[in-house]
Amino acid sequence: MSNIAGKAYAMNVITPVRWYTAWLNKLFFWVALKRPSTLNGLKTLSLIHYARWVIIGRKQFPHLSPDQPKEHLNYSYMLFFSNFNGSWDQYVDSFTFAIPGGLDLFWKWNVRYSKSVALTPFHNYIQYNQLETIHYYNAYPLATSNDVKSAKIVKESLSDFNKTVEEGSDEEFLKRYHGLLRGLQHDLGAMHPTPIISMSAYQVEKRERWHAGQLDQEQGHV
Amino acid sequence: MSNVAGNAYGLSILSPIKNGRVPGKEIAYADLVRDQLQAWNSEFNSPMALVPQTYLCRFYVLDDVVTESLPGGSFPDTWSDVLPVVPDSLRRDVMPKQDRLQSRYLVFCCNFYAGPAGTPDAYLRGMWEAINGRIHDIWDNCYGFENIHHASDFITYMKKCQVTTSLYFNGSTDQPLEEQLKALYMKQEFTKFAIENQGLSATAIRANYRAFMLRTQLNDLQMPSWQPGQYRL
Amino acid sequence: MICKCQAGNRGNTGFDSLICQRHYSEPLFRKSFMSKQLDLLDIQGHVLRAYGRFSYPKARYVFLNIRHSGRARRFVDAITQRVTTAVCWGKGPNDMPPPEWAVNIAFTYQGLKELELPRASLIGFSPEFVEGMKHRKDILGDDGPSAPEHWDPIWRDNRETRDKDVHIFIALNALAPVKSESALTDIQQAMAQCDVFLEQAYAWLLDEVKKSEAGVVILGGNRGDDGALLDYQEVKVVMENGMPTAKEHFGYTDGIGDPVFEGVPYDEARVRGRGKQMADGSWAPLATGEFLLGHIDEAQEYPPAPRPILLARNGTYMVYRKLHENVASFDKYLRQEGQKYPGGEELLAAKFVGRWRDNGAPLVSAPDAESKKKFDEKFAQASLAEQDRMLSDFTYDNDMSGAKCPFSAHLRRINPRASLEMGRDPGDIPGSYKTITGAFDTPGALSNRRRILRRGLPYGEVKDRSRDDGNHGIIIMMLNADINRQFEFVQQQWVNYGNDFKAGNDKEIILGNHSHDPRFASKAVLQVDPASEEVPYILSNIPRFVETRGGEYFFIPSMTALRMIARGVIDPT
Repeated sequence: MSNIAGKAYAMNVITPVRWYTAWLNKLFFWVALKRPSTLNGLKTLSLIHYARWVIIGRKQFPHLSPDQPKEHLNYSYMLFFSNFNGSWDQYVDSFTFAIPGGLDLFWKWNVRYSKSVALTPFHNYIQYNQLETIHYYNAYPLATSNDVKSAKIVKESLSDFNKTVEEGSDEEFLKRYHGLLRGLQHDLGAMHPTPIISMSAYQVEKRERWHAGQLDQEQGHV
Repeated sequence: MSNVAGNAYGLSILSPIKNGRVPGKEIAYADLVRDQLQAWNSEFNSPMALVPQTYLCRFYVLDDVVTESLPGGSFPDTWSDVLPVVPDSLRRDVMPKQDRLQSRYLVFCCNFYAGPAGTPDAYLRGMWEAINGRIHDIWDNCYGFENIHHASDFITYMKKCQVTTSLYFNGSTDQPLEEQLKALYMKQEFTKFAIENQGLSATAIRANYRAFMLRTQLNDLQMPSWQPGQYRL
Repeated sequence: MICKCQAGNRGNTGFDSLICQRHYSEPLFRKSFMSKQLDLLDIQGHVLRAYGRFSYPKARYVFLNIRHSGRARRFVDAITQRVTTAVCWGKGPNDMPPPEWAVNIAFTYQGLKELELPRASLIGFSPEFVEGMKHRKDILGDDGPSAPEHWDPIWRDNRETRDKDVHIFIALNALAPVKSESALTDIQQAMAQCDVFLEQAYAWLLDEVKKSEAGVVILGGNRGDDGALLDYQEVKVVMENGMPTAKEHFGYTDGIGDPVFEGVPYDEARVRGRGKQMADGSWAPLATGEFLLGHIDEAQEYPPAPRPILLARNGTYMVYRKLHENVASFDKYLRQEGQKYPGGEELLAAKFVGRWRDNGAPLVSAPDAESKKKFDEKFAQASLAEQDRMLSDFTYDNDMSGAKCPFSAHLRRINPRASLEMGRDPGDIPGSYKTITGAFDTPGALSNRRRILRRGLPYGEVKDRSRDDGNHGIIIMMLNADINRQFEFVQQQWVNYGNDFKAGNDKEIILGNHSHDPRFASKAVLQVDPASEEVPYILSNIPRFVETRGGEYFFIPSMTALRMIARGVIDPT
């Protein structure tokens, strides 16, 4: 199993929601995300690639065959999936410190939700309801969400710049080049193998194998 | 529409796994699924690296739902705080009920570029065409997958397994994967260029930059670029 | 900097701790909090005070191994009689005079086990404390030249065999008593007296060790000058022309920043810049529980702590690290880059850290030579309190793009203040960041729980600046309630990595574990004003300036806990 793929961590949470408040939950999602402090908070934290909340009604679990027994559930279920950078602790802590209000709006209608302040009960709540990922794929394990966003800006800036390369004197070119660098001064971070988050020996070994050893054997992929 | 955030699509799939024992083996279908997925972790790279437009995706097996017992702000508890007497049996009656799933589910959660169309069809077709052998390895263990032989069957099947995303948050970009990978490549290469050319004359930098453009081919999204799932520089 | 009663005698030492007894007890220094005051007599002195700032320029750190649990407990009891608390030093009714030598004590996990703390208490300590610093080298980035195989023998052999484990840490800090009229000769006399006190302290300790009848033994293996292996680690302020300074061996003025938290009476006047930044521009002290167990922390709960309560309350965790400074590599790199850097070598040196070397002026307040000149003029005329404010009362609110203090500078990485509440929109000037006001619950939301109390002093002397291999560096002791959330987080995520600063894998310039592997060569971008015509300067192939030479995680008990540990009566039943 692995919750980690390069610099991304896959978190999966499943929590029961009273079936008659599920619709309220969906409404609150919409409200919470419109709220500037939640939206700005999430964007400013900048740790997430993609995250989603899914609510499955208690009668809506996929049923595909007459051989499959039907589900008889008391609750509907909310599934949360997040792809984020940094460790579990950093992620959960960031949310609690930075946007406790937003978090509470998302999880408000969940049964026995602990609220996001104080910290330890919230940690316990998430850990209690978290499921491990078995297989996690990341198209750019060396890049964080910040890197992907930066890269877009770099490419766009270079694209614009390329069109001007032949214009004017060398000095004029240099001035534009300096402007290019200045504009990208926050987008030139290195992308090296991640810092090690988990002490699991297997993780370390795997990274070492990929990064240090087998450069010769690599051609394309699979 | 809430499966979509710009051009990015959040596909959430729950495929019910067959109950019972795999014929000829002493293992449950669900455990076999988990085992297969676990084996993917030791390969050089994930089979999903071959599926076009995949940003990030994950698989897990949902054995059962989780029953709550941690304390939380539940209604009768609040009444108990405020009123002098609340019968304890009433409070205990509202301990969360225990739910059990009748089947186990393969959960496949995927983020990919779907373009302005905003549907998963093209992606699923691409997935089938790239790795349908692998898809069979996993999904043959699920209910209703007996007669899936073509991409169109696969798409229909997956749509039956799809659960709607209530809220999809995009904290990254929503560009085609090739754009993202090429951009990352350009970022890496340009950083090196900036270091190597610091302090050189205008003429030298300009000449070097022309060579840089030629080498890196900014508008060619295929080569040179990062490969999907690339673990090393 | 000498006591203000010597207003005519201002040197440029930056060493503000030679404050005479008379002026120390004045109201300016003694204003107590209106809110709760901590039980100062229960807390060990070095937790609330950086002795270096209070006229203790020299110390010895001694490490012991326990050979017999019962006799070791008696030894701890004897030491405890002499341990210095955090009581106010002065002339008031509950005050005490500062001691000629201060004693403090701490234990590793193995040490607590040998002292026979019950297992039910032992399992309540944090996992990283139990594991010890050495085995967490992958998290801390102690690789290459910082790896344990290069550590001083005492640390290399720690946690390998039972009889060489570091169990007990004892700090002996000696006073340099300054009389009220302090000319140079008086300073020298005070420093000589300090040496005498230090020897007295050490002699006392040796005597107590002897009385334990081999219940404890002092561990040798601390590298000193010329490869000598000593029975202690000695630290002392860096001297310049016979005067004590607040500098370390790269030439930077150190020890200015230190968190201020609730309940410490001698800190209230220093809260601006050291506490937490509030949305209305004010500063508030941090919650006590960030630094002391048994008190509410910033998450409004008690930090995880071992049981029983009396074992943990008023105690804290200490991270001890010996950091060797590669002065030759530093000088060479600074000179090499300083020649190319517009703005010159001293400004570049300031950019590495975020403060000017000579007097610690923050770059945010004095971003170039001209503003530095103005700063210096004002500084020279200012009172001690005003100087302190000039040094520490600043924010990054007007430097959100890093043009003044780079994003990879030491200061900004160690304590970003409110600068992580940053964002940018499509229409903004390229290369700029701005504060996204209101995005977070409080502006410092991401920094407030990553603060660390710093103690310790430089060690050794640079005899030859053209070499890296002399005996010189700093001993840093970092105190916090949660080693993993505070120290380890900052070390791993902010010092040796830079994603939170939009800098990918770029490390903090001074402390980062820069790699010699050309595939992973280290760089840092020194940002410029996005609205100007300047060019950002890129530092490349940064060598590793600082190397780890040893260290461990310790627990500093309160006085109450000490007495109970010594008597073997800790009982979590």
